[in-house]
Amino acid sequence: MEEKYAITVDDLTVAYNYKPVLWDIDLAIPEGVLMCIVGPNGAGKSTLIKAILGIIKPIAGTVSVFGKSYAKQRSLVAYVPQKGSVDWDFPTTALDVVMMGTYGSLGWIKRPGQKEKKAALEALEKVGMLPFKNRQISQLSGGQQQRIFLARALVQNATIYFMDEPFQGVDATTEKAIINILKELRKAGKTVVVVHHDLQTVPEYFDWVTFLNVKKIATGPVKDIFNDDNLTKTYGINYKVSVQE
Amino acid sequence: MNSAQISIQIIVTLVAIACAIPGTFLVLRKMSLISDAISHSILLGIVIGFFIVEDTSSPLLIFLAALTGIVTVILVEFIQKTGLVKEDTAIGLVFPALFSIGVILISKNANDVHLDIDSVMVGDLSLAPFDPLLINCQEGIADSCINLGPKAIWVIGIILLVTLTLLIAFFKELKVSTFDAGLAAALGFSPVIMHYGLMTVSSVTIVGAFDAVGPILVVALMIAPAATAYLFTKDLKRMLLLSCFFGVVASIAGFWLAHILDASISGSMTTVLAILFLLVYEPIITSIIVSSIVGIGMVLYQYYDAAILGGVSFEGYQLGEKLTYIFSKFVFLDYVYILGIAVVMAAFLIYILPKRGLIYGYYKVRQQKTEIMLLVFLLHIRNHAEESERHVKHLNEHINWQRLRSQSIVDLAKKNNMVTVSADNIISLTEKGADFTEKAIDYIITNKDTEIEEMKDDFFLFRG
Repeated sequence: MEEKYAITVDDLTVAYNYKPVLWDIDLAIPEGVLMCIVGPNGAGKSTLIKAILGIIKPIAGTVSVFGKSYAKQRSLVAYVPQKGSVDWDFPTTALDVVMMGTYGSLGWIKRPGQKEKKAALEALEKVGMLPFKNRQISQLSGGQQQRIFLARALVQNATIYFMDEPFQGVDATTEKAIINILKELRKAGKTVVVVHHDLQTVPEYFDWVTFLNVKKIATGPVKDIFNDDNLTKTYGINYKVSVQE
Repeated sequence: MNSAQISIQIIVTLVAIACAIPGTFLVLRKMSLISDAISHSILLGIVIGFFIVEDTSSPLLIFLAALTGIVTVILVEFIQKTGLVKEDTAIGLVFPALFSIGVILISKNANDVHLDIDSVMVGDLSLAPFDPLLINCQEGIADSCINLGPKAIWVIGIILLVTLTLLIAFFKELKVSTFDAGLAAALGFSPVIMHYGLMTVSSVTIVGAFDAVGPILVVALMIAPAATAYLFTKDLKRMLLLSCFFGVVASIAGFWLAHILDASISGSMTTVLAILFLLVYEPIITSIIVSSIVGIGMVLYQYYDAAILGGVSFEGYQLGEKLTYIFSKFVFLDYVYILGIAVVMAAFLIYILPKRGLIYGYYKVRQQKTEIMLLVFLLHIRNHAEESERHVKHLNEHINWQRLRSQSIVDLAKKNNMVTVSADNIISLTEKGADFTEKAIDYIITNKDTEIEEMKDDFFLFRG
């Protein structure tokens, strides 16, 4: 039986100043999985996502989204960057940031109108941030900022979602709220790829996992490959994680 | 006002707006210094252009100058990408190199032409009205040209028009690529294109404003209004409008300041810009200083005027001698007058200016402290039903506060109708007090703040 892949990465190599940070990655992400990418700091997790999205130009290899190049499939993909990658003192409101998610479908020059605003308000509602729609973004807590980013991705109404450490620096309530939304997305048949750090929660949150440390160590269903052997290979040291059944 | 004065004011207004727009984005992208780099290195382009066409007003000069601006940005990025030095160092390496080549070329080859270092450094606004744009000139016939007014107005006007058109067309793209370059790239709005677009507009604007205000002050016109507006507002559109407004106000005020002081126009404009920024950043201290200076100036002027009317001739007097004469007429009432003006103006400025600065910050911290105290107090009352715990005197021992403080907190709570004090000094929560405490506790524990939203406007405690 042939599986349908949302993302296929072939022989991808990315280098900063001629020093490879990702080395010959082959990766196929099946459609409809909720996948996390785990690996130590500097393993190239964020870089992998950025290379797939064309934000960083790889020195070798190809990426395809449902069999076509990313540039042709942009509208199918939503991206949540790391919260720390932007300046939250930027003069704008929560609603306005969420509206940015609609810019992709608008294309160049065209401005967002009532339809886009309505979509943005709906997305804010979904992440429970509607009361804060007119709040200056610097006046939001870390968890609220992360929800705003999530809402911005939701408003794109994509098929594939990439999220770079969405649980970083958020409290337990927000983490629960975010993972519930991710699970809903998967239920709706979407593919979700998350850079994740907390190994304890992997079996609980995700059904698919990729181990990465400059090279790809392993990829597959959590129940099959999330074991001490792969963790040790990825993190170097003798890593043991107690997996709760 | 004569027509030259009007022309200069039109020019500075256009320059101020044309600079404030790209300047706002430079400030938001934390790239303010790149404008300094561009403004210096374009000298090289201007000089090379001049050697090619031997004419300071050729469009080729503007083109080459703008090109040098872009080259500066590319060089800075190239050096930065080696990873050996940081961006500020790269800027510091590139522009002095290009600028100095320009300076050498001028001093070697252009000694006898109108391209001297002085006018290049601070611009030459006062002469701008007398350099008209002439078209349709016929060879050999005097006065056959059609005079279209000062050339500077046309040059900067066209640049401003293009800038405005680009801003309106690409506002959303500029916004998203400035806020979140990663998202912009993923959505297909190349941040590289936006970056170089902005750099091109900045370069062309700087070139256009270069003649009028020179390379140092053009930086002030790009950065200071945007930095001031940034303190004022948290909305990008309003920030753009405000920086244009501040730029224009400072430029026109600066022009008149220069007129009064008989000093350099561009220098006065920058001084006003600096004062504007200080006023917003530190309103109280600055407004007191500025108003005192204005007060003293007004008194001095009054005496000067009176002396001239009274037939005193200041001809041949040095400025110092004039001042000595005027100060010798000072009476006690004048100090009172100055103080009066200073107080009224300072009060006015503090009233209209936004709530920032040291003193306000101190006030805010105190206010927060009081609010927390109030909450602690209300909680205590809520948690203790027994009367002995709710006696006014008892509070001193129980919450371990000084008498004065507990009294002021009780007063505050009473004033807000949150507690009542019975005849025998027993405190009880009112309905409003109980409700407020409930909500506040809920907020602090769950951090879920839908309920608390409306309360936030009245209390510092729940803000950021």
